[in-house]
Amino acid sequence: MSAALLEVRGLRAGFGAQTILHGVDLDVPEGKVVGIFGLNGAGKSVLLKVIAGVVPAWSGSVCLAGEDVTRTSPERRVQRGMAHVPQGRQVFGSLTVEQNLRVGAYALRRRDKSRYDERLAQVYETFPKLAERRRQPAVTLSGGEQAMLAVGRALIGDPKIVLIDEPSAGLAPSVVEDLLGVLLAVRSLGLTMLLVEQNIRFGLRLSDSACLLQRGRVVYSGDTASLDQERLGTYLGVGRLLADDLTKGLGAKSTQPRRASRRKAATVSST
Amino acid sequence: MQVLVVGLIAGSIYALIALGIALVYKATRVLNFAQAEIGTGTLYFTWWLCTRHHLPWIVGALASIAAATAIGLVFEALVIRKMMTAPRVTVTVATIGLFSFVLALELAFFAGTIYLVPPPIHPGGVRIGGVFVSWSQWLALGVVGLVALGLAAFLRYTDFGLAVQASADDPVAAQLMGTPRARISAFTWGMAGALSALAVLLIEPTVGVLSPGAFNGLFIGGLTAALVGGLNSLPGAFIGGLAVGVVEAEVKAHLSFNVIPSSNVTAMLVIVLGVLLLRPQGLLGATAGRRA
Repeated sequence: MSAALLEVRGLRAGFGAQTILHGVDLDVPEGKVVGIFGLNGAGKSVLLKVIAGVVPAWSGSVCLAGEDVTRTSPERRVQRGMAHVPQGRQVFGSLTVEQNLRVGAYALRRRDKSRYDERLAQVYETFPKLAERRRQPAVTLSGGEQAMLAVGRALIGDPKIVLIDEPSAGLAPSVVEDLLGVLLAVRSLGLTMLLVEQNIRFGLRLSDSACLLQRGRVVYSGDTASLDQERLGTYLGVGRLLADDLTKGLGAKSTQPRRASRRKAATVSST
Repeated sequence: MQVLVVGLIAGSIYALIALGIALVYKATRVLNFAQAEIGTGTLYFTWWLCTRHHLPWIVGALASIAAATAIGLVFEALVIRKMMTAPRVTVTVATIGLFSFVLALELAFFAGTIYLVPPPIHPGGVRIGGVFVSWSQWLALGVVGLVALGLAAFLRYTDFGLAVQASADDPVAAQLMGTPRARISAFTWGMAGALSALAVLLIEPTVGVLSPGAFNGLFIGGLTAALVGGLNSLPGAFIGGLAVGVVEAEVKAHLSFNVIPSSNVTAMLVIVLGVLLLRPQGLLGATAGRRA
């Protein structure tokens, strides 16, 4: 079994007098994709925000690669290898594609400026569309291209783990498909990812294992392939037909070997 | 022609105030009502060092800029950082508090007397095409041009400058990219203070005297310029400053006080109303819908 790159233990957090997370435990093994799922108000996004450092933890711990980062600022967590694809992509519209990528590489450039060109070339190799549009303001990109940029911006800093917050939220169905293509390509690089997703179909297609949250507590943690209809129905409110569809899909996915090493970059060219 | 040149010079100084207003607004969505008063307050340092201690103008000017930068930094650390999640209107009211505080200090220590600050360079000037431009005005034009170009280059070509722009677009997303949110906020307010001091230092030789609240008109001109250019656009703020300066000079030249009292201020009100009605986002400002 792989060692956990990200370890969350007994995490409690909330706002004011309201407790949102009641002692959450979570392991994200190196090279795996873990999806956090739950109904509205389950605490998924808050959990991701506490792990990112945007919302403070009341108690418990967050360890990244063996180092306790519970009390460190979000930017220091990025310096230690955490990267983010924020909800709604949130590309910097007034900056060009290349300037967005440079902002994504802020910590890398401070650590080792000489590696930036190499990383930029790798991102452009993975997403050739971004290379074509490098001088264009990000606001002029299509939804799919903005998704590529948000993912490329997270990858450029050579992170240990990427946190992805509701990637499909508010996107048109065609863009969701583009985004799924982008993230499946990134998944094939062998990168560790932690994903929060409301769209169960989308999230389960990407994840190796799932963590189901209900009212701030973990009610299931394990392989997505082992998720049965009853759990999906009980904790995610997924109807029986859809649950059948999902579990069949998961069975098929679990037999597919993960492709390539992260050095062997997949190319994404959808729009 | 004379009117145009005078307008451009005054406008370039409005542009400095407008740059400060736009920088703070872009980064924090807060309108800084103390933008001109900070520089007015710290100009007393220049007066004190130059007249009481007979130090060169440049030493007094640097002290004023340093003090204004410090006011910006302290205000950011003590007030802005504590109000990170407060409604923007509340933070804007806090800047009115800063304005009142600086003005109250001026009144407490310097009310009732008009102070004279020595000119930055000796009197005189040069006549070009029949238009007389004083050395102080040349200095103002040169410094404003250099500062605007320097600030633009800094924001465009340095990592920290890009981080400031990214933070202006979305502070939380920028922080999640690893950019230092606290340092960016401190830079924004410190720079706003420095721009305020610089603008007051450069307009003072034209006004000629220093008294509490003497440069309130500078804020009105700067705010009008920032609104004309687009509150979230730095190039817009600069162009807006020049435009407002020229319009103000033309109005002053062609409408006597007897026809419309304070015609220049009235003109600015008309400009602001016109912009808000016809193009609320200003000349170069981004609309809310343009945001990604």
